[in-house]
Amino acid sequence: MSGTDGTGAGTSGREDVLLEVEDLRVHFPIRRGIVFDRTIGHVRAVDGVSLRIARGTTYGLVGESGCGKSTLGRALLRLNEPTSGRIVLDGTDVRALGREPLRRFRRRMQMVFQDPLSSLDPRQSVQSLLTEPLRVHGLDEADRGRLGGNGERAHVERAAELLEVVGLPRSALARYPHEFSGGQRQRIGIARAMVLNPELVVADEPVSALDVSVQAQVINLLEELQELLGLTYLVIAHDLAVVRHISDTIGVMYLGVIVEEAPSDALYEQPLHPYTLALMSAIPVPDPAVEDARERILLAGDLPSPANPPAGCRFHTRCPFAQERLCADTVPELREVAPGRRVACHWAEEIRDGRITAHRVDPDATVTADVRPGTSGPSGTDLDPLAVP
Amino acid sequence: MAEHPGPVEGPLLAVEDLSVTFQHRGGPPTRAVDGVSFTVDPGEVVGIVGESGSGKSVTSMAVMGLLPARTSRVTGSARFDDRDLLRMPDAERSRLRGKEIAMVFQDPMSSLNPVLTVGLQITEVLQRHQQVGRAEAREQAVELLHRVGIPDPRRRVGEYPHQLSGGMRQRALIAVALACRPRLLICDEPTTALDVTIQAQVLELLRELVADLGTAMIMITHDLGVVAGLCDRVNVMYAGRVVESAGRRDLFAAPRHRYTEGLLASIPRLDAPRGEGLTPIPGTPRDTVGWDRACAFAPRCRHASDGCVRPDLALEPMAPRSGEVEHLVRCVHPAPVGAPEHLEGAR
Repeated sequence: MSGTDGTGAGTSGREDVLLEVEDLRVHFPIRRGIVFDRTIGHVRAVDGVSLRIARGTTYGLVGESGCGKSTLGRALLRLNEPTSGRIVLDGTDVRALGREPLRRFRRRMQMVFQDPLSSLDPRQSVQSLLTEPLRVHGLDEADRGRLGGNGERAHVERAAELLEVVGLPRSALARYPHEFSGGQRQRIGIARAMVLNPELVVADEPVSALDVSVQAQVINLLEELQELLGLTYLVIAHDLAVVRHISDTIGVMYLGVIVEEAPSDALYEQPLHPYTLALMSAIPVPDPAVEDARERILLAGDLPSPANPPAGCRFHTRCPFAQERLCADTVPELREVAPGRRVACHWAEEIRDGRITAHRVDPDATVTADVRPGTSGPSGTDLDPLAVP
Repeated sequence: MAEHPGPVEGPLLAVEDLSVTFQHRGGPPTRAVDGVSFTVDPGEVVGIVGESGSGKSVTSMAVMGLLPARTSRVTGSARFDDRDLLRMPDAERSRLRGKEIAMVFQDPMSSLNPVLTVGLQITEVLQRHQQVGRAEAREQAVELLHRVGIPDPRRRVGEYPHQLSGGMRQRALIAVALACRPRLLICDEPTTALDVTIQAQVLELLRELVADLGTAMIMITHDLGVVAGLCDRVNVMYAGRVVESAGRRDLFAAPRHRYTEGLLASIPRLDAPRGEGLTPIPGTPRDTVGWDRACAFAPRCRHASDGCVRPDLALEPMAPRSGEVEHLVRCVHPAPVGAPEHLEGAR
């Protein structure tokens, strides 16, 4: 844990950790009944996630819909109340904060949402949208001196400054969200998140609602802002290509847990978890030569319900490498297999070294096929492990 | 496997000079599709790629005769087996739709009827277009669900769309589309609403089915990656027109239109080394001019010059690199053939 003096440096040993999350859980109750509001179960959206994000770096969180990545992002800012676990931002235990201290603390952690059209109030002008956080929290000390006080005029000045930083003209202040294109609206959403000089920015699918030709503009903008303002990002996205592009570290989520965590390049060069392998082999690459040459690991079936996740390894029902031993009954720990590389798979090394090969998975079968190391299943020939191009 | 009647020679579908204009109440007419021509040969997979608003979906809707007659005006021709789909009486088109031409839409939840069982939605098509009894149709429905990879089809045939997952719904929709073994399957963003691993399943299924049944397919998508692994020929659309048309190898290895080139340079690629900057296309798809005055992409193009301000730029043939199919480009300053920008970093 870093120091409480705000700088954090020196006290944490190796790296300057800004955010530390420990065994975070977010469970949503499933309710039934009209008279008696009974809770009949829980959707375990986030079920024991631990991660650390170093100051000034980008942590990318990937996973498919329903894996809990957005819930995790929101829980970090306590937009969803976590069920248990610890969130420490720069020495402050975020979960221990009371209502008012939390409100004040929020200026240090902000969020960029997926769809700027629904996250920006259509009836507020851009000026009003950008100065609203300042009216609530006030200007930064430094900005106060620079812009002359904490009045309305200084707020507008700060808003105009931010617009310029995100590449919009000052004249945009008088306009309304619907007057802008999707890319421009996302720039406004980003400016709004940055206006309070936050330290941590959680960006939930920041580009997936945008046109392909505009996505790159917003990705580049996020990178420029990080450099300019020294921001720390948690970027949540389903698109591994986008996440790989902007992240230093990537965490892959499946059914509420992180199944693999690695530096961005290492993850791409050698994915260790079978789910990461499948995810990477599923992403289309805009290059026919690559597409024709690659072999896919097609996952059978769909994501199991997070209200009733499979026992043992949560991925074992769909895993083409699942073994009879361990997978169905023992929960794999997220263990460090190399410096900076964590993976939650009993057989990661065996799979990496080719001692276990993929076999076909019957999506309806509850028992996994019997495949011993070194032998492939009955139809294993067409499902060899992915040769990443 | 599939024996189809009809001519062996010539394209299965020939769309020529197709234009669609929408008339809004009180507003000026909007031209969504502007003189689009392309052909689909029997068994061929043709991609139509473009961003939202490029007119790719409207093109397919017009071909299928699904646009509201009151607010839209469709001109040009779409010859299917030498019959013009656009001038055909409605009754005749209805006989063709679902039987010889079928369509798969993006969102299966809104294209399947929520109050009918999946089985009924398949047997409906079969009973309408083929002389089969109910029991026979039901057997075929089970067979079809099995064919598209839905586990336990005998149970699923009696279930409602909401009981299926997103991926299974899309499979069911494909089963409905394939029920009568159409000769042409039009897929409009069939995997956009799905997760990547499910998308991979559905694309694999389509790839297999097209190969097995010899069905021709039009794949409409915004995702160049989907096209790269699937299509024989790709048409890139921008602001209502086809700006480039080529075999997929030519298109990706040597894009000639500056829009295609820019698009490929702006997509983060999974296999590109990290730290490699993206080169975005400036502006937004809204920054456009009418094709009747200039190249619609000129306001966003780094290579634009005064020469680009000329009415009705033609789609001109370029020398194809690999001799796959004709390479057509609508550009005054086509990119040189060489190492394209987007591959420089990757290689």
